[in-house]
Amino acid sequence: MSTHRIAVTVNGLLREAEVPARLTLADFLRERLDLTAAHLGCEHGVCGACTVLVDGETARSCILLAVQVDGCEVKTLEGVADGGELHPVQQAFWEKHGMQCGFCTPGIVLSTLELLERHPRPTREQITESLGGHLCRCTGYVKIVEAIEEAARVLEGART
Amino acid sequence: MTAFGTPLKRKEDPRLLRGEGRYVADLKLHGMTHAAVLRSQHAHAAIRGIDLDRLRSDPRVLDVLVGEDVAELPHILCIDAEETTRPFTQPLLAVGKVRYVGEPVAVVVVDGDRYDAEDALALFDVDYEPLPAVTDPEAATADGAPLLHDDTNVCDVLEYATGDTQAIDRAPHRLSRRFTTQRHAGTPLETRGCIADYDPRADQVTLWTSTQTPHGVKGSLAYHLGLRESSIRVVAPDVGGGFGSKLQIYPEEVLVTLLATRVRRPVKWIEDRWEHFVGTTHGRDQFHDIEVGYDDDGTIVGVRDHAVTDTGAYLARLTLVEPFIGVAMLRGPYRIPNFEARSTIVVTNKTPMNPFRGVGHIQAAQAMDGMLDLIARERGLDPAEVRRRNMLTPEELPLDIGVGNVLAGPVVYDSGDYPEALRRALELIDYDGFRAEQEEARAQGRYLGIGIGCYVEETALGPYETGTVRVEPSGQVVVLTGACSSGQGHQTVLAQIAADELGVSPDDVVVVYGDTDVVRDGVGTYASRTGPIAGTAVRNAGAAARRKVLKIAEHLLEASVDDLELRDGFAAVAGSPERKVSLAQVAQAVTAFGPLPPGIDTYGIDETDVFRPPTNAFPYGVHIATVEVDIETGVVTPLRLAVVSDAGRLINPLIVDGQYQGGVALGIGGALLEEIVYADDGQPANPNFMDYLLPSVDTMPEVLLEHMHTPTPHNPDGMKGCGEGGAIGPPAAVANAVSDALAPFGIVITRTPVTPQRVFALLVEAGVVGED
Repeated sequence: MSTHRIAVTVNGLLREAEVPARLTLADFLRERLDLTAAHLGCEHGVCGACTVLVDGETARSCILLAVQVDGCEVKTLEGVADGGELHPVQQAFWEKHGMQCGFCTPGIVLSTLELLERHPRPTREQITESLGGHLCRCTGYVKIVEAIEEAARVLEGART
Repeated sequence: MTAFGTPLKRKEDPRLLRGEGRYVADLKLHGMTHAAVLRSQHAHAAIRGIDLDRLRSDPRVLDVLVGEDVAELPHILCIDAEETTRPFTQPLLAVGKVRYVGEPVAVVVVDGDRYDAEDALALFDVDYEPLPAVTDPEAATADGAPLLHDDTNVCDVLEYATGDTQAIDRAPHRLSRRFTTQRHAGTPLETRGCIADYDPRADQVTLWTSTQTPHGVKGSLAYHLGLRESSIRVVAPDVGGGFGSKLQIYPEEVLVTLLATRVRRPVKWIEDRWEHFVGTTHGRDQFHDIEVGYDDDGTIVGVRDHAVTDTGAYLARLTLVEPFIGVAMLRGPYRIPNFEARSTIVVTNKTPMNPFRGVGHIQAAQAMDGMLDLIARERGLDPAEVRRRNMLTPEELPLDIGVGNVLAGPVVYDSGDYPEALRRALELIDYDGFRAEQEEARAQGRYLGIGIGCYVEETALGPYETGTVRVEPSGQVVVLTGACSSGQGHQTVLAQIAADELGVSPDDVVVVYGDTDVVRDGVGTYASRTGPIAGTAVRNAGAAARRKVLKIAEHLLEASVDDLELRDGFAAVAGSPERKVSLAQVAQAVTAFGPLPPGIDTYGIDETDVFRPPTNAFPYGVHIATVEVDIETGVVTPLRLAVVSDAGRLINPLIVDGQYQGGVALGIGGALLEEIVYADDGQPANPNFMDYLLPSVDTMPEVLLEHMHTPTPHNPDGMKGCGEGGAIGPPAAVANAVSDALAPFGIVITRTPVTPQRVFALLVEAGVVGED
């Protein structure tokens, strides 16, 4: 099986590796780099648990190949908190009980970062659109939406 | 101010939010190998032979097991089987015959990663002889049906009768109807998976597995593999949801454990989503042929019911629960003394079924509340009024409703005010206001509907749960329990209970579970039992620890126990706050480094309680849904869902709201979207997330939630359990709301999910719209 040399910046660190063509980005992160926050819920690009940011945009790491992100910047949930401090989005999920088993949460937090970057004051429709790419079996989404709204308020407050 | 009853943020979350969850797929061991399971692609076939030559020629293959290799080991145990139940149990690997798509046929271990293990599956050569399959439970009981195991596909018939069963035949009015609840998949976001590692030093195999019941898995491993208890350790790391699908041991867990002892290296197996859809137990699949006799004012005289459960190809560990609850809890909150029910359990060529969140109660509510709406329609009464007339009143409780089963004992409704829950729910949804809105909408050609779903739920199942409370020499309070979280928040709620007993903050309590070497005994998490059963064990253990702390402090402070209080981590003399000792000082006074204080006869502060509830608890609730139906497309849009529930006293209202909201989503999925569809040949048509639709944020109605707090007498805190109630009401409420919306056309919804296709077909049948 052919292998390829890739160089990817992950959470600010340049990572170089020789990978088989078929290795997914999710498995590259999880198995090669031991960054296991991106979870595999379906491995066919529907549930969103494996969502990461590739060059600042959300992507399903289960249906991207590692070779496709050669030269890109990847951010996973491990790269979100600033040292010991939770990011305001993470904090809002904690405050509002926006999670239960936590398996889908990493992807949703990253999508929320993208959402609030694009729409600092998101409408309910924009939240639904962003969150619509994620399946959560535990929460019924009610408290996730509350968490996203809370995160928007806190970040907005920090800016003004 | 107690921690009990306070909406505290969860202790679990900061770690999970940093990406520091440790689910089984995240774990890696030195020298780890990977296993893959070869599964049947046939619904029903004889296995003529399995050729392993190509497989064995691959140097990466370390070990392989086929059915004959493990044929002597016990089948998956069905623990609640009645004496009359046919023993249609599942072998660890198919022997001679496969009976459903997804059935494990062989398992291979490779020196490589998961990709390599899956590659190896292509190297098996299995010679199948396809047999006719049966996927419909009625067809399965007809003459000449393909037989799965023996001379019949009926594995049991449960029968119950109370009161005057002939009364129904003498009732002035009678109605009968079939209500059908579809087959669901559990679909936690984390699939199943496990890693086993044999440690020759300890002569012990450790299984890390995504399970709700680590102690159950341990006991089962001992049973299947003939191992001594000390040779097995089971660890449930973070578990990404369960909902019943992870409450029993599965063949894969036994096989992976066995393989680790054979290859003497860690073996990892992680289920993929297709495997989850075909290889993890399903739920629900049940229909009810229900007949109700009633009088002129809609008062029910009696009910006769025949439920048929299609339990799939084999008995699972708790297969009989869906069939039992489906009829035992059929009458819900209604006064129906004259009752006769049969519950037939049929095997077909589908994945086996086990309890799934809300087990049996969903089907019961759909059938019973469906009939109440039909009575209302037939008598020209308001559906809410018909319910009022038939609901049990608080004065009638406790009430033995005359049914029971082996595991759960007799069903005795404990406490509550069902009519009050109905009143509040009607108010919460603004029932009268909605009726006015509905009328206006109809005038504009829009079809709104409102529907009620009620339930009484059997929860807080025994037989027991364990709780240990320790105070370490540092003053650290540690709780151990046999309950095992799959996301519910056990660390937080059990810390709240222990914190109150010992006068510390829940932040300072560590809660440990999910490791059978650390927690010696336990049962696990299912049946809404952690609050009432594990919580009570922790309460009792905490109270014992408190008594010991006070007794030691009495000695240290030379004060009477009656004058002492535990607060902020200290035992202090009331009124003289400077006279105090810390929990650390108290704990250090009873280590074995020194003599014990007088009157204390054991070292340490380490108290364990095994709580065995006298019987089950019975929370209840009323769900009212409003919907809009587009008669051009058949699309149902759920608008609002009001839930008034009574699960007794609540430990953490924030977490409880999350449980109900999440339950509602699962119920909405059942009402509108989710269904495992099988083709006639037994092939599952939608075993993936593209085709099996889970509710997403845009399918959710607005959820209005209110709680009542009637305690159960069966545990000191009066907790009834809140994990499942949210899931029970929505299918009945939504189905009835759709029927209500389409009442002008005489349409009645009797089957879930209420998909656009089904609604459209009914609209065509009723002549409302043309076929195109």
